[in-house]
Parts: sequence; structure tokens; C-alpha cells
Amino acid sequence: MSTINQRLGRTLIYTLLIGFALIYLAPLYVMLVTSLKDIEEIRSGNLIALPEHLNFSAWSKAWNSACTGSECEGLAPYFWNSVRIVIPAVMLSTIIGACNGYVLAQWQFKGSNMLFGALLFGCFIPFQVILLPMAKLLAWLGLANTVVGLVGVHVVYGITFTTLFFRNYYVAIPNELVRAARLDGAGFFAIFWRIFLPMSTPIFVVTVIWQFTQIWNDFLFGVVYSGPGTQPITVALNNLVNTSVGGKEYNVDMAAAIIAALPTLLVYLVAGKYFVRGLTAGAVKG
Amino acid sequence: MGAITIQELTKSYGETNVLKGIDLAIDDGEFLILVGPSGCGKSTLMNCIAGLEDITSGELFIGDDNVTSVNPKDRDIAMVFQSYALYPTMTVERNIRFGLEMRKYPKDEIESTVKDVAKLLQIEHLLDRKPSQLSGGQRQRVAMGRALARSPRVFLFDEPLSNLDAKLRVEMRTEIKKLHKRLGTTIVYVTHDQVEAMTLADRIAVMKDGIVQQFGTPYEIYNDPANRFVADFMGSPAMNFVECIVFEGNLIVESGNQRHEVVIPNTQAVIDSGLETVILGLRPEMITEPKPHAESGYITQMQLGVQVTEPTGPDTLAFGEWNGQEIQARLSPEVGAQAEIDGEVQIQVDTGKAVLFHPQTGARI
Amino acid sequence: MFKYLENQLPKLVMAPTAIAMFVCMYGFIAWTVGLSFTKSRMMPQWDFVGLVQYEKLFANPRWMVALDNLWIFTFLFIVISLFLGLMLAIFLDRNVRAEGALRTIYLYPMAISFVVTGTAWKWILNPGLGIEKLVRDLGFSDFEFRWLVDQDMAIYTIVIAAVWQSSGFVMAMFLAGLRGIDDSLIKAAQIDGASTMRTYWHIILPMMKPVFFGAIVVLSHIAIKSFDLVQALTGGGPGYASDLPANFMYTFAFSRAQMGVGAASAVIMLCGVLAILVPYLYSELRSDKQ
Repeated sequence: MSTINQRLGRTLIYTLLIGFALIYLAPLYVMLVTSLKDIEEIRSGNLIALPEHLNFSAWSKAWNSACTGSECEGLAPYFWNSVRIVIPAVMLSTIIGACNGYVLAQWQFKGSNMLFGALLFGCFIPFQVILLPMAKLLAWLGLANTVVGLVGVHVVYGITFTTLFFRNYYVAIPNELVRAARLDGAGFFAIFWRIFLPMSTPIFVVTVIWQFTQIWNDFLFGVVYSGPGTQPITVALNNLVNTSVGGKEYNVDMAAAIIAALPTLLVYLVAGKYFVRGLTAGAVKG
Repeated sequence: MGAITIQELTKSYGETNVLKGIDLAIDDGEFLILVGPSGCGKSTLMNCIAGLEDITSGELFIGDDNVTSVNPKDRDIAMVFQSYALYPTMTVERNIRFGLEMRKYPKDEIESTVKDVAKLLQIEHLLDRKPSQLSGGQRQRVAMGRALARSPRVFLFDEPLSNLDAKLRVEMRTEIKKLHKRLGTTIVYVTHDQVEAMTLADRIAVMKDGIVQQFGTPYEIYNDPANRFVADFMGSPAMNFVECIVFEGNLIVESGNQRHEVVIPNTQAVIDSGLETVILGLRPEMITEPKPHAESGYITQMQLGVQVTEPTGPDTLAFGEWNGQEIQARLSPEVGAQAEIDGEVQIQVDTGKAVLFHPQTGARI
Repeated sequence: MFKYLENQLPKLVMAPTAIAMFVCMYGFIAWTVGLSFTKSRMMPQWDFVGLVQYEKLFANPRWMVALDNLWIFTFLFIVISLFLGLMLAIFLDRNVRAEGALRTIYLYPMAISFVVTGTAWKWILNPGLGIEKLVRDLGFSDFEFRWLVDQDMAIYTIVIAAVWQSSGFVMAMFLAGLRGIDDSLIKAAQIDGASTMRTYWHIILPMMKPVFFGAIVVLSHIAIKSFDLVQALTGGGPGYASDLPANFMYTFAFSRAQMGVGAASAVIMLCGVLAILVPYLYSELRSDKQ
């Protein structure tokens, strides 16, 4: 009796789990098949039907000739814009976060905990409240609509998270290690460089992945602070989808969406474990 | 060379005073133990000596140098930590070399030093391992090796054995003592374990609430405690404390429904104090079964009602009551076993080494 | 002198961050709050006019729609995500085969940009060719599904897309929480004769309270900041029927050159976040001290 019940229970669990897995996968599947059809097939067939023959023209159009507003060069230039923004922004915010975390966890001074609290709070403010003054500041510095300006914005508002990550990682390391190294004659930077950095690989991976995903996926800063030549890919994608010149080309939209999502999806597939750790570390608490 | 002089040292964090005026003079080559319950300030004091914490006021000398505001790395001291604090990403060898490299020792000197230290501590076969691959005892050795390598003027040990299991702790204790004999370097050693303190120290500083309660040899601390706190803290099993009425300079002890007048050494002091009652402090080994040849003016024989006994092997502790307060007697195993059956035992009390305390302040009389 | 400098190193290292933080966060917040009390339009100007911008804001039907949408969206988004996330986590925690693969599938949307999510769901929910056509092709020829272009329903499409994107994350949080529960506790409950259902309801779920709070804080924070999803999925439309405050702020501050109103709406959003965050941080700090 109980075994039958148990079996029923197991079947129910698996049915639900697999059912939901299909639902979660469905949008990606739909995007993929749509991007491989031509417009005729899209209009005549349905959402989930497989394409009759593979057609990659939507992909090449999305990459190098689709219109994003008045320009018609596809997503390629914006993809590289994003790369140019993401790489320095991730590197800078991670390095600064590591130094900050090292200080806040191991070299506490009067007021350092308050400073950390103030930083932590910054993880939560809605960016709308800083959008206007930041625009003014960028204009005043002559950095409006530039890649440098965008990198700066991402670094400034990224270090709250990177600092939090590193601080929480380093705070678990006993302070005796620093004390031992100080007696051994090592100074502030020598201890960081020779003792803390070599054991920080996991948290570096977590932080880099987190920052990469955040900055690659950013839309708000991109749409507010970039100009025609410096827009990141998310902004270009939105423009591409919402530009209606002639009929809607859903296959191109979907190919473009996948291109925009690909880098972060790949990172997630390769290093999912670290991605989840970043999410929970960033989300749960300090 | 490695003498340490501490003068009126205080340390406070904001409003809280952790150290309230410490004066200690530690001789060169001495093994000093700082002991006390947790929160007494002993670790803070050690960190002040190391320079890892700033001193609020007072002065600190190592040898003839005033090091009050000298950086820790320039004080020529080495420290062994409770958690060992081995650098996790470095091999054992690099852990030991690190301090030498930081001080820019010549390469060949580093090589030979590492070799010597590894040999001395018998960790040669571990040199290529990472700390995470070592057992607790091995980590302990490496931590000592790292301290030894620089051959400093002073070694500081911060509860180095508290993370080891009981058996290993005893082994390492002996080893540390041997090492000290061999090197002759000054050692300041923090512990909360009074057995460690008694066995290792040349001199002990017993601390409580940021004040040194007593500073003396283990013998003095054990037999001549400065106050009730020291008497209670040092010694295992703990000293018996019984409040007794004073009668013509003697103390009234009621045991097994009989009243006894117990003679104590410093009768005059008790009479002079004018107290009606005092606390009698008597170590359990002074309450035993009657010994045939024990003859002194301080022996009293009496019956003791036994509630429970605890055999420890070499002897058995018997718990009874004097004046309605619990005391422990130290009996031989045979007598102890019989006492458990009979529920009472004939004992002799030797008050020759009894110490007396003020019932309210706990001060020695 | 050298020693003094060396001792100041930690502070020196923190200094740039501290300065950036006080200028670009707290300074800018003050700036925006200040601006919201002026009559700035195209350019900031500093004639203080009191609460005029706030009065304008709350007299603006578009803002009221955005606020209403925010309540609907936040409430549904949180409730559904919590429910789905918790359910998936509990099932995944029952020694399921291929757990890793399933977890990867539930969580991958979190790695994707909201703009991509919006684009994808915009196509799926497309009234002509999307789900509606799919169901009609299956034989239900009268089936209608036009939420995307329906004034009253558009906000719910945003709920759907947002739940799809974020519920996996809630699952991960709950799963971590469940894994943290001491096994002996569940065994003890079983020995006491509690059924599986009862064990979950009376013992495990109450222990998940901190996870619930954490998840609610994170989800409501996502909800208040939601901007890109709306922009990509509905563009705030039809009309402004699916606007959220973040979209309102963007439109008024940057497209319509009404800085004062934009700043006022941003300040209200900040107050919303504070209303959730302050009690949460307060309780966290208090439990830390215990």
C-alpha cells in the first residue's frame, strides 16, 4: 500500500519537475526555432513547429544589416561596444572590490563598519534616484555618451556589490593570518599580494561572473548615458525590435535576442555553480 | 637581551578598560605564563607585547629598547597562534621561509635555516605539503617552526595547544618545555589551562579583569595564593573553601555531626582581623585518610559523611560536607571504595598549609 | 612619519571608494531630493517651490496608473515566484535524479537580460502569431489571447515574463535553505510519527522564515527597479497602461524634459525601497547581535 503511494508520489514529483523544466525551456526553444525560419513559414506555421529547412539568413541579418533606428548595420557594432564597456568595467570594479573587501574584513579602523553599512545600503537604492545628477556629472566631465563614461558609471555602482562579495569572503579568514604575516615582516600590500590573493580564486570567479552578467545585461545606464556610437547591445536590441521599417521580421528579432543573450548564457553554462553563489551571496545578506 | 619590562600598561577600547595598569618584569630566558579566565585581558596583553594592538598608556621595553611605538615587525619577536595561522596557499617550506624572505635574508642562509628548523621539529617529510594536508599536531609543529626560523629575542605563544586533543596536548607541552630548555629564549605564553601554566612556567602571572592578581613561581602561586580568586583558579581539583566561625583564633568545623576546633598557622592574624567568620581554604590533598606517621600540631582527625566518590585512578575524590558546605577529600583508591560503601570515612585534616580569606572581599588574611 | 603613513594605508585604500560613494550615492540622492523641490524642467534650476512637483506628480493619471501597476505587479510577482520557487525547491530536495540538470534549467533565465526576456515573450504572446495561433491550430478556433494589446491585461504579461525570469532564483534560495536544515530534525519528526506533509508544514517551513524574508526583499527590490522588461515587452503600452514608476521616471526626466516631476517620482521610488529595506536590515542587525 505504502509503496504504491510512494510510487505515485515519485511519479507526481517527476511529472511536475519535468513539466516545469519544459515550460522554462520553452521560450528559448521558441526563440531558436523562430530564428531559423523565414517570414513566410512564421506566418503560416505555429510557434513551436520545427523549421522545414534551416535558414540562417535571419542570423546574418541580425548580426550585420538589421536596422537599429536610423542605422542599419545590425548588432555587430553594438556587440563590440558592449565588450569594450564590459571588460574594463568588470576588471576595475573587481580589483577595487577586492582591495576594499580586504580592508573592511582584515584592517578594520574606526568607522570602517559604518562605511561598510553605507556601501551595503548602496546595493539596494533604485538607480532612478541617481540618474539625473550622474548625467550632469558626466556632461560636466565631458564624458557624456562615451564608453569611458559608461565604464565609470558601472564601476562606481558595481563596487558596492564587489566589495560586499570580497568582504564576506575575507571576513571568514581569521585575522591571526594577518597578524602572523605582520610579525613575519610583511606589510599591508605584501600580505594582500602574497597571502590573500592566492587564496581568492573562487571569489574572483564569482565576482567576475556577477559583474559580467550585470553589466552585459544592463539596459538602464546604457539607454540613459550612451550616444549613437556607444550604445551597448541591450539598447541596440531594443531599438532593433521596436524599429518598424516595413513588416516585422520576427526571425531577425529572435536571432538578435539570442545573440545578445549568448555571452551570459555561455558563462552560465560553463560556470553555473559560481553564478548561483554570486546570486545568493549578493542577495541574501551582508 | 630578551627581557621584557612592562610599566603601567593600560589598554582601553573606547569606554571599556581591558588592561588596567599592568606592571611586569620578565627576565631574559624566562618562561612566563599569562593565565586567567576568558576575558581577563591576557590575550590583549600579549597582542600589546607583539605590537599588534596599540597601547593606550604605559611603556614597554624589550631588552633595553623602548618598543612602545615600534612596528611589530621591528620588535624581533615571533608568535605562535591558537589557530596556527599558517598561510593556506603556501607549502610548509614556504610558510617557514616567508618571514626570512620578508626580512631579505640571503638565500643560502634561508635554505640552511629551514633545514635546521625542520630537523629540530621533525617535520622534514612535510616540507612540500600544504597546511590543509596536515593533522592538528603537524600544523602545530609547523607553526612553531615558522616562529623558530627567525630566532627572535622573544617567543609569544597564544593558547597554542587548545586546538589539540588531550593526549597530543600533553605531548606537545613536554616538547615545548624541552625546546625552551634548549634554546633559552624568553617565552611569553597565554593559556586558560592552569595545568599547562603549572607545568610549563618559570613564573606565572594570574590575571583577572585586566589586573595581574599575582605574579610568582608556580610553587608560590599554588601554595601561597594572593587571594581567593587565584587560589580557586589554580589547582585541579579545586581548593576547598569553607566558611568557619572563629573561636579563640581557631576555626570551628562541623563534620559528621561533630564539632572540631581546627588549629591554623596564622592564628594571630585572624584574631587581629576581628572577623567573626573567615573562609578556610584547604586543598583536597590536605584532607586524606589517617596517615600513620603524620605528626604535627596542625593535624585533626574527624569523620566525614561521604555523598559520592569519583575515582581518578591514582586516588579517589570523596565529596562530603563541612559546616553544610561541600568539600572534596583525596583518598587512596582502597579507602575511597570503602567510603563509597560505608557512606562515611575517617579522615585526617592537615591545616599546616591552610590559607584564610576575608569572607566578603576574598583577600588573603 | 613612515610608520604613520603605513598605518593609514587601509584608510587610503578605502578613500576613493568612500569619496565615490558619498558623492555618487548619497550626494546624488540629496541632489535629486533637492531637485524635486524646485521647478526644474529642461535644465536644473534652484528656485524652491515646495511640494509643487509632488502635487503635479500625484495629479498625473499616468503616475497613478504606474503606481497601481506597481502594486499589482509586485504582489503577483512575489506571490507566484515564492510559490513556484518553494515548490520546485521542495521537490528537487527529495533525492531527485538529474537534479543538477533540472536546477540549471530552472535558473538559466536569471542569466539573461530583461531586454532579451521581454523580446522573447513579446513574440510568444504576440496576438496574431503567438500562443493564440498555436492554440487555434490545435482546434480551438475561438481561442483569444490578446493580453499584450489589452489595456487592462498588459501588466499581467509583465508578471508572466518576470516570474519566468526570477522564480528559478527563488528556487535556488529555498534549496540552499532546505539543504541547511539539520537532517536529524527531520528524522526526529519521523520518529515522532509526523507525516511528510506535516513535517514540512510544521517544522521545515517555519524554519525557512529568514529565506522567505530574504526572497521577498530581493523580489520587491527587483519589482521596484523593473524598467527594462517593461520597455522591451510592452513599451509601457498600450498607451501607458503597463507603465511602472521606473518607466514613468525615465520618460518624464529624459524624454519629456520634466526634470522636477522625474526627480519627485525617483524620490518616491527611493522611499518605497526604504520602507521595505529599513525594517529588514533592522531585524537582520538585531538578530546578528543576539
